[in-house]
Amino acid sequence: MAAKELDTTRNAVPFDKANIPGPKMAKAVKAVVAGKFISKAKRPLLIVGTAAGDDGVIEIVRSMSEKGIPVAATGSSLKRLKEEGIDATYVNLHALVSYLKDPDWKGFDGKGGYDTTIFLGHTYYYASQLMSTLKNFTKIKVISIDRHYHPNAGQSFGNLKPDDFIRALDVVVAQL
Amino acid sequence: MVIKKGKFTIEGLENVQINIGKVTSSDEDEEPQGPTPAPDIHGLRDWDMRLLKRYEPVYSPICDLCCYCTYGKCDLTGNKEGACGINMEAHQAREAMLRTLTGAAAHAGHGRHLLNHLIKRFGADHPIDVGPTNIKAPVTQTVLGIKPETIGDFVPVLDYVEEQITQLLATTHIGQEGSAIDFESKALHAGMVDHVGMEVSDIIQISCLDMPKSQADAPLVDVGMGIIDSTKPVLLCIGHNVAAVTYIMDYMEEHDLFDKIELAAICCTAHDMTRVNPKAKVVGSLSKQLKYIRSGIPDLIIVDEQCIRADMMRETSKLHIPVIATNDKVMYGLPDRSKDDIDDIIRDLASGDQPGVLLFDYEKVGELAPKLVMKMAPIRKEKGITALPSDEEFKKLASSCTQCGACVIGCPQGLEIDKAMEAAVEGNLTLFEELHDKCIGCGRCDVECPKNIPVLDVIEKASQKVIREEKGKLRTGRGQVGDAEIREEGVNLVMGTTPGVVAIIGCPNYPDGSRDVYEIAEEMLQRSYIVVTSGCSAMDIGMFKDDEGKTLYERYGGGFLKGNLLNTGSCVSNAHITATTIKVAAIFARRDISGNFEEIADYVMNRIGAVGLAWGGSTQKALSIGTGCNRLGIPVVLGPHGPKYRRAYPGKAYDKDKWNLLDARDGSVHNVEPAPEHLLISAENKAELMPLLAKLCFRPGDNNLGRMIKLTHYIELSEKYLGVLPDDWHIYVRSEADLPLAKREELLKILEEEHGWKIDWDRKKILEGPARMVDISFQPTNVPRLCKGAVE
Repeated sequence: MAAKELDTTRNAVPFDKANIPGPKMAKAVKAVVAGKFISKAKRPLLIVGTAAGDDGVIEIVRSMSEKGIPVAATGSSLKRLKEEGIDATYVNLHALVSYLKDPDWKGFDGKGGYDTTIFLGHTYYYASQLMSTLKNFTKIKVISIDRHYHPNAGQSFGNLKPDDFIRALDVVVAQL
Repeated sequence: MVIKKGKFTIEGLENVQINIGKVTSSDEDEEPQGPTPAPDIHGLRDWDMRLLKRYEPVYSPICDLCCYCTYGKCDLTGNKEGACGINMEAHQAREAMLRTLTGAAAHAGHGRHLLNHLIKRFGADHPIDVGPTNIKAPVTQTVLGIKPETIGDFVPVLDYVEEQITQLLATTHIGQEGSAIDFESKALHAGMVDHVGMEVSDIIQISCLDMPKSQADAPLVDVGMGIIDSTKPVLLCIGHNVAAVTYIMDYMEEHDLFDKIELAAICCTAHDMTRVNPKAKVVGSLSKQLKYIRSGIPDLIIVDEQCIRADMMRETSKLHIPVIATNDKVMYGLPDRSKDDIDDIIRDLASGDQPGVLLFDYEKVGELAPKLVMKMAPIRKEKGITALPSDEEFKKLASSCTQCGACVIGCPQGLEIDKAMEAAVEGNLTLFEELHDKCIGCGRCDVECPKNIPVLDVIEKASQKVIREEKGKLRTGRGQVGDAEIREEGVNLVMGTTPGVVAIIGCPNYPDGSRDVYEIAEEMLQRSYIVVTSGCSAMDIGMFKDDEGKTLYERYGGGFLKGNLLNTGSCVSNAHITATTIKVAAIFARRDISGNFEEIADYVMNRIGAVGLAWGGSTQKALSIGTGCNRLGIPVVLGPHGPKYRRAYPGKAYDKDKWNLLDARDGSVHNVEPAPEHLLISAENKAELMPLLAKLCFRPGDNNLGRMIKLTHYIELSEKYLGVLPDDWHIYVRSEADLPLAKREELLKILEEEHGWKIDWDRKKILEGPARMVDISFQPTNVPRLCKGAVE
């Protein structure tokens, strides 16, 4: 029997039920669309949280890194990333959003700021609040490819089951 | 002769009456008054702007709308302006300021209530006695420029605090302040006056209620949900204001009732009860409140103010637990029975005719509470009141869960309750037992469950085994740090040989359970940091034991010395933490503190490696405490819930222009390392937090030995928790003497190979590379007027 078609736009309600920020909430996107969107970014930055070290997710981080997307390791994600040989730079997420907000910040490579941020593997409520900084005070595109719907992103998956989440990430990577 | 306030007549001159109002000190050795005694809102604005220029506020809106007035709602998404002209940035600054102000008002309101009560009970001339010190009220003296001697001297101090709170609150009205940066300055002002209000509250209760006075070996008391003997009548107090409860303790002592009644408390009233009488017991922090009520163990509950659940009456009525409310900040719509006969009140409460009463006559509270609780215990037992589900009911409830996940989505921590339910059906309770410590006891899961499962009850029922083992020790709040301790330790702290002070404060909204604060404290104590704590965090630190069954309070001393663990006391005792840094400036550095806030804050920020940690900060008070620390130059770290406070003050290490300091000797400008790097920041988890704490203890004034010690800990903690040498360690190196001894050669090699520094390998000396060299006479300051020859 063919696998059921993956639809990452379903169940697009905030994972923390009361986290309704206002009229502008993330557009729920299909994994293919998310992947294409990321592939078109000129200066993307993959921002990973501690859960990016989870099995199944770490492979996606590796794939995206190998595709040339720089990785910002927030929380305590760096330890696992280094163990896996993935090139990443540690940065505090709260500090990072303040840097991203700064037009004079030269980025981790000294070549300037980023036009697209991709969030993966974060503590839900923590990332949600800090996405709201980017949403309200920058022009940077924010795409969440985490397991739960993030209203403060520009684009996000809906709430996904664990298996569907990994499938969705595979689809994203396939577009890069 | 002591001149007191009052009216006097002179013998032989009966028609003459002498009225003496305020008595001011006339000591010849009075220290000079600084430039800003009792500053109004703009009095320290220049200092705030210096802080905010370096640590630019970053906002994280929790709501994109403004609904302050009938023009709105206004959508401010994308920093748009609303109908009144305010933009998102300024609105968020206003929101953060308002929360800070709310916290300050809670402490100041507490202080005013206590002050009125204690003046009535002990007299305005009751002397202040906080232990051996020449600086009795450091925060008050630094902010207002006065040195209180009696509790009555605090009346104008609170007048000042209340005026500032009113003026600040006025600025939130539509059509007033419109600038984000000025709202931030106002928030910093609110935070500062909060510390004055807290100091007043704690000093007067220490002085009047015979609490420990700078006592390093204050008594150890029991803490935990498992310590209560539920075969006895259980009287539970909840809140922060100990005024009424002291009468209960007095009555119980007079009538030898401590063996017959379990007197216990939750939240800061627990701290202050045990400071008054260590026979009282501490159930635990704020997160235990609903859990403990739901346990059905309390036979009577006394509430005062702050951090008490709004659903108290619904919860207690179900379990036939009477409630006595003793403070007009929390009245629950209950009848005021203050003027009624005690026996009548007991009759109505015991029968359940009234679920609770207001009682503002504390003499009556003192007598009534013990009598009532002894009456209630057998009544409740006879009625067979059981709170938690039976084993059979538990199985049935767990089986009725459909794994819909509504509880998970409703849980502020996103705890996987559904998985624990599933495991419980199979007879496996370990997931629930693990979840129990992470659960903050808010009860949102109950509300969300479409099957009406009382989820919190299920969690608690499943965790009975671990709850029974919740038995720890807490050292009662010691109050201030004494002058002698400052003299002994100040030099180590300023030179950096004691690597820093980590103040673990605030509420229990931890991201991963209360064990975190225990482990954080333990790690820092083992590294010889001074760990200061207070409030709910202080309780949770005492909840865990090592392999030998000892808590941290039993393993580490309670003095202001490296590697010691100090519990200052309740929320309002947080003022003693900022006061300690002021005392270091006054005693060790001989700075004049009266009315001299800016200079002292400047000294603290550049010299004293202290960092605050509100790992589970959830209340407005936690924000105001942190903001007050910030204005005094003390950086603060929040847990991952912290961005919900809406703003932070992160630093930008890469922006060199932000890290210029003056040398007070000649006013010359020096570009220095980013220390402290942030003023207010959050961390995602404990592993990220640990090296961050160490880093935020760096100060430009560190000497070589101090920097070497601090750098050692920063590198070790980063390697231990993040698995790497931190990528910014080298910017804190000014010479080879700053390098950790054990790694010196390895690090010199990295400096040469990766950072291009020039090394003399024969002498193992750095020849070129550091942003600045060490100058032991460097007098770092952010304030131009403090430089020699400055005219400002």
